[in-house]
Amino acid sequence: MKSKILALLGGTLISGMAMAGGYQVNLASQRQIGMGHTGTGLETGTASIFFNPGAMSYIRQNGVTVGASGIISKIAYRAPEPGTSTAEADNPLGTPFQVYGAYKVDELLTVGLGIYTPYGSTVKWGDEWSGRFGLNQLELQAIYIQPTVSYKVTDKLGIGIGFIYAIGGVNLQRSIPVQNQAGEYGKAELDGGASGMGMNVGVFYKPTDKLSVGLNYRSKVDMEVKEGDVTFTNIPGSLSSRFPEGTEFDARLPLPATLSLGVGFMPTEALTLALDISRVGWSAYENLRFDYSQNVNGSPTSVNARNYEDTYIYRIGAEYKVGEALALRGGAYYDNSPVQNGYLTPETPDADSRGLSAGVGYQVSENLSVDASFLYINKKERTDASDKSGGIGGTYKSIAYIPGIGLNYTF
Amino acid sequence: MKKYIYKTGMLALFAGVLLTSCDPEIDAPSASAGQADFTKYVAVGNSLTAGYADGGLYREGQLNSYPAILAGQFKLAGGGEFTQPLFTEEQSNGSGYLKFTGFDQAGSPILEPVKDKLAIRGLGADTKTPLYTEYLDEVNNLGVPGIKMVDVTTAGYGLNNPLGFNPYYERLIGNDPLPTSGFMPYVSKVAATNPTFFTMWLGNNDVLGFATSGGVAAISDAAKFQTSLDAMVAALTANGAKGAIINIPDVTGIPFFTTKATAAIMAKATAAKTALFITTADGTVRPATAADFVLLTSTVGTPETVGTATIPHGFSPYNPLANSEVLDEVEVTAVKAATTNFNNMLSTAAQAKSLVYVDMNAFFNSIQMKEGKATLNLNAISYSPAFISGNLFSLDGVHLTPRGYAIVANEIIRNINNKYGAHVPTADETQYRAVLFP
Repeated sequence: MKSKILALLGGTLISGMAMAGGYQVNLASQRQIGMGHTGTGLETGTASIFFNPGAMSYIRQNGVTVGASGIISKIAYRAPEPGTSTAEADNPLGTPFQVYGAYKVDELLTVGLGIYTPYGSTVKWGDEWSGRFGLNQLELQAIYIQPTVSYKVTDKLGIGIGFIYAIGGVNLQRSIPVQNQAGEYGKAELDGGASGMGMNVGVFYKPTDKLSVGLNYRSKVDMEVKEGDVTFTNIPGSLSSRFPEGTEFDARLPLPATLSLGVGFMPTEALTLALDISRVGWSAYENLRFDYSQNVNGSPTSVNARNYEDTYIYRIGAEYKVGEALALRGGAYYDNSPVQNGYLTPETPDADSRGLSAGVGYQVSENLSVDASFLYINKKERTDASDKSGGIGGTYKSIAYIPGIGLNYTF
Repeated sequence: MKKYIYKTGMLALFAGVLLTSCDPEIDAPSASAGQADFTKYVAVGNSLTAGYADGGLYREGQLNSYPAILAGQFKLAGGGEFTQPLFTEEQSNGSGYLKFTGFDQAGSPILEPVKDKLAIRGLGADTKTPLYTEYLDEVNNLGVPGIKMVDVTTAGYGLNNPLGFNPYYERLIGNDPLPTSGFMPYVSKVAATNPTFFTMWLGNNDVLGFATSGGVAAISDAAKFQTSLDAMVAALTANGAKGAIINIPDVTGIPFFTTKATAAIMAKATAAKTALFITTADGTVRPATAADFVLLTSTVGTPETVGTATIPHGFSPYNPLANSEVLDEVEVTAVKAATTNFNNMLSTAAQAKSLVYVDMNAFFNSIQMKEGKATLNLNAISYSPAFISGNLFSLDGVHLTPRGYAIVANEIIRNINNKYGAHVPTADETQYRAVLFP
């Protein structure tokens, strides 16, 4: 059964589009999405593999969790005043997912494996819009595979560490402003697989039954693309030597480090409150650079500045147990954009975003529970000249609806 | 029951909010004409206004003329129909034009004339000027390729006669020797259209004719330029029409003069242990300097027999570039002085009638390359006056590509909006083509 689900998820590896700051996708647990994606300062079951490996040693039973979200997102674009051209990104359904398994070796040591998709972006503007020479379509995907160990130092203190092996890829398509005799524009497609490594460490401290705190650090992962394929189409014959067939590219995309501090507060048996603050090391993303194996239009590289800024995300969440079986959840967060003025691009037309979430959990049987979540993201309308990034200037507005469902099995 | 109503009410409200906010929307101000009135827009001018490109006037260029693009945008702010003297589909190649068919061994573009689907109906009374298929219905685009400011009051400028005439004007007015037909001066044809709004881009040929002939043709007389300009503006504003006067860009910034960069040719000559020699207006032969402009149409560098040797054209004092192949330093000074003078007159005329003055000269000066980089970048495409690769100029090195015309139209719109408090939206220039590559 598990392998079937994994295979199924493997078939839809495209993770969500950029609905968090930059191209981060904060959808790592269906219970925690319902609580505004807090969780660093809580024992979150198997999802502690992601939120805080230090809390993993506090799980009471072995467990397996699988879950997925569906991102329905739309981005509107309008050309700078007094232009009239508009566009809407027709993004495919994003399907970020998570699979966690945790096993208690003994009272003190717990081991686990997590597979999740913390970064990804699929934006599809098409090849008709006025910004098509900047971007037609971009897919970024990253799947983190994280074997993890957690050790209960005392009844109040746990530490954990996970090794991250990330796999993924990039596919970028854009129109080239050269036209053949039929007036058709050239097109370039860059496609390549990528991989990288990193780690996830956490400390969890629970001084009383009512209070817990956690600190988590997920390191930067440099995703490196080696010998990706560059495919040119519709290039006029007289220019074919400038856009040579068989060109390959190397690129590197940093998936930034995230440092999170979380607090959990349990005033009663039924109520859990949580607060998280994260700092995302976006400043690692300085430029988007492609190195070509042979000159493309006379140049061996293509470099566009990004100069992202480090950002903070503020989250609050709550869970209330209505009875033995049913839990209701709600949360909200505010996510600052790492994109500075002048650097807005159509790949991640980012702006400060507000997230509102709700969720339910239901204990079906002693071993099986279901979580469902719904997240609404509304990004502020943003107008930018995009004159420093080679982007497409104009006004962008994004919203997303993200339903999700997950299953937990304990044994 | 009350609870039920409350619950369904909340649910309906929630669903309503969800559905109405389902697609993100960006508000934009609606188009308006401000103090202008675009009901009847008439365009007056020369080849640039007609949509001339690639060395000819043909249907595609007409369809993408800047007045046609402007009219399309004016429509969003109350503008009316805009008729152009289009060549038919069957005669879509009009006067014929140049097509880019490849590169020669030296890397220069090969340009070949298109010879089919022409709109040539015969030769004029002078037995050499081609006559084009007539279009005698009233038109809004009165662009006449070749017309100078000083031509606008000339009676018989469009009459098929043996003395030389303008066939592009002839095709618009009919050929009867009457004051209402072939003898009608351009200014009268314009006055009869009675516009509510106009653009006037005249005067380029008054200096360009001199410049592209390498100083062989004359620069227009300044006094005649002034009286013709006054007559033209009076005709256009007779009924209180508002409009825009567009000035003359510095012709030495366009690819016709910059593509065969004199400094580069001089360097080649130096490498061949000789120099580049030119003939000036008074017949003097002298070595070229970087202040001279070798014309795009010059055959500089073509191997030719000089005495017993074969030497590239221009690389010997015995085979210098002809006067007509070079705009020499003295002539450049004359062109620049005349451009400034004419532009001052255009500016004064615009001010006197409170018209929009579009400083196209400043606009083109602002899009020259700087430190090897294009200074104009729109929607991730670079634009410069470079021949073919600059995306702005068509294959004749003087006239614009459809995309170049769209960019010019947008610049005019910005000026109109600014002057008349209008909100005319600009066009999406990416919907227009640049040079087509073979």
